[in-house]
Amino acid sequence: MKLIIGTIFSFFIFTISWLTPGETVSKVKPSDKVSEVLFKLGDKQPNHFLRFPSNKDIELGRRLFHDGFALGRNGKKAKRVSKHFVCTSCHNAEKEQKDLSQNDAQKRLDYAVKHDIPFLQGSSMYGAINRVSFYNGDYFKKYGELVYPARDNLREAIQLCAIECAQGRRLKKWEINAILAYLWSIGLKIEDLNLDKKELTDLGIALLDSNKSADAIALIKSRYMDHYPATFTKPPEDRKAGYPEVGKPDNGQRIYEQSCLHCHEEGQYSFFKLDHSENSFEFLYKHIDTYHRYSVYQVARYGTQPVPGKKSYMPQYTQEKMSDQQMEDLRAYLKQKSAYFKK
Amino acid sequence: MFLRKVYLLLFPLLFFFDIQAQNYVTESFKDTRVINTHSVETLPARKLDVRISHRFGDLAGDRGGWQNFYGLETASDVLIGADYGVTDRFTIGLNRTKGVGVMSRLVNTSAKLRLTRQTRGENPFSITVVGEMSISTLPRSTDPNSILFFEAFSHRFIYSGQLLVATVIGEKFTLQVSPGFVHRNIVGALDVNGFANLGIQAKYQFNKGFALIFDTTILFTDTRTNDTGYYMPLGVGFEFDTGGHVFQINLTNANGLATPDYIPNTTTSWGDGEFRMGFTISRLFNL
Repeated sequence: MKLIIGTIFSFFIFTISWLTPGETVSKVKPSDKVSEVLFKLGDKQPNHFLRFPSNKDIELGRRLFHDGFALGRNGKKAKRVSKHFVCTSCHNAEKEQKDLSQNDAQKRLDYAVKHDIPFLQGSSMYGAINRVSFYNGDYFKKYGELVYPARDNLREAIQLCAIECAQGRRLKKWEINAILAYLWSIGLKIEDLNLDKKELTDLGIALLDSNKSADAIALIKSRYMDHYPATFTKPPEDRKAGYPEVGKPDNGQRIYEQSCLHCHEEGQYSFFKLDHSENSFEFLYKHIDTYHRYSVYQVARYGTQPVPGKKSYMPQYTQEKMSDQQMEDLRAYLKQKSAYFKK
Repeated sequence: MFLRKVYLLLFPLLFFFDIQAQNYVTESFKDTRVINTHSVETLPARKLDVRISHRFGDLAGDRGGWQNFYGLETASDVLIGADYGVTDRFTIGLNRTKGVGVMSRLVNTSAKLRLTRQTRGENPFSITVVGEMSISTLPRSTDPNSILFFEAFSHRFIYSGQLLVATVIGEKFTLQVSPGFVHRNIVGALDVNGFANLGIQAKYQFNKGFALIFDTTILFTDTRTNDTGYYMPLGVGFEFDTGGHVFQINLTNANGLATPDYIPNTTTSWGDGEFRMGFTISRLFNL
């Protein structure tokens, strides 16, 4: 009896196998890491590749990234990386745009509002390990030759960020490795690439057919930016008139809340406090067309500089991170609120 | 010891108010002092507030005027020191003042605990307690009848405790009342060791950076009246906030700076022109 059942079952399986397509497909899951799929396709490993980041290192890195310090390997609290900032002062650790192949300031703001994350000067560190270049474009104007070793080396980029951007100390090797481990844990996933069903199938096929690897790698890399351009830009020529764009106060409110207050709200990073009071709006609007650090145009486009005795400063927004339109939106909001309180 | 008991008693209140505090009213005052008196504000955690305060000599009156360039050529008291935010709610301080009472050359320490913060629509008050202790570093007198004989080390100590209750009314006006108690371990035969006092402080914020401030303290003791040569400390001033720096410039008849010192020892009167210019510079650092 067992023999008969076994024979029927084998025959059934054999028949089914003949009915399936001739090509064998390796399934690519949405939760698969982009980096792993790329390596399997034969893409070169970056110099910041970590073979086996441990959960302990990932947790240490997460704490360093979000809190600015972590318990060292000896169990003692390591010295804070910076007295002034943590990584999340300027960088999110979440995805910032639905379509990662675009670098659109307004779409980034829309996404930030929808997902209640800050709208910041720095690029998100989500997917940083998938990038190949850092401190791009005009960051040379700010940091000079310091950007050279950091441009194609994420370890050096992290170090530069700790020392210069955060005005902190040099990171120890284990700290950089821990941060790197954390960044590897928040690398891009296949689901972030918005691939359709056919593209996913093609990826699966390419994993088994080396002739199709190059196309598959190109497909994956076309769906995210492997570096973020950075263009420093100037305040409007005539600050009284502003940029030519017409401001929309509603959008300006979103910028004020997701961006300005991220650093200037009480308990955050800046000594210069802002809130939703009349004093804040009146002050900002009154100084907007001036040529010093109280002007929103001035600080958004040029930032402020760290000086001895006062090292906390404000980094500027590049053109890619805040558009001229958004600057005018912010101005329109400040004007609207200032006028509202004067009534 | 007494202050420690008070803190222990007030801790349950702290946790009670913690639950409801959400939409805080921020910056009831810009600084941790309103001219001389502590405000309800505590420092954010890991912030060091370096403070330098100065009180010049009498602007007018017998000791003022042209002869000492309206007080600018003399210093009635000078403070230099720092406060540190241990947590967002708890601040400690250490400073040195010249001192104006019999027991001068003071090293002053303070501990300040914020119990609750004003929230919009829920809790109308911010409440903070502050305890201060001053130690006179004067050399010991050889006269056994002098209070500076310091028979015991504890005789060098002066204490002050205050409950600070403040409310922001509207967008710009802040009112604070500060009932307190000053205790000196050793005093003259006709004096009293301890007495209660009530401070009233106010601020009107004209714009983001500029405010008018007011500070006075009423003393509840028969040994400290105008008839006995003591006066109610009263000051008015302006406050400038530049983001990181707070600068106060004021006129006050109080010649001292530390709370345990100026409350019992204000012997100069506005009516006689014995008021002075003073200033405080406060600078915050991240630690």
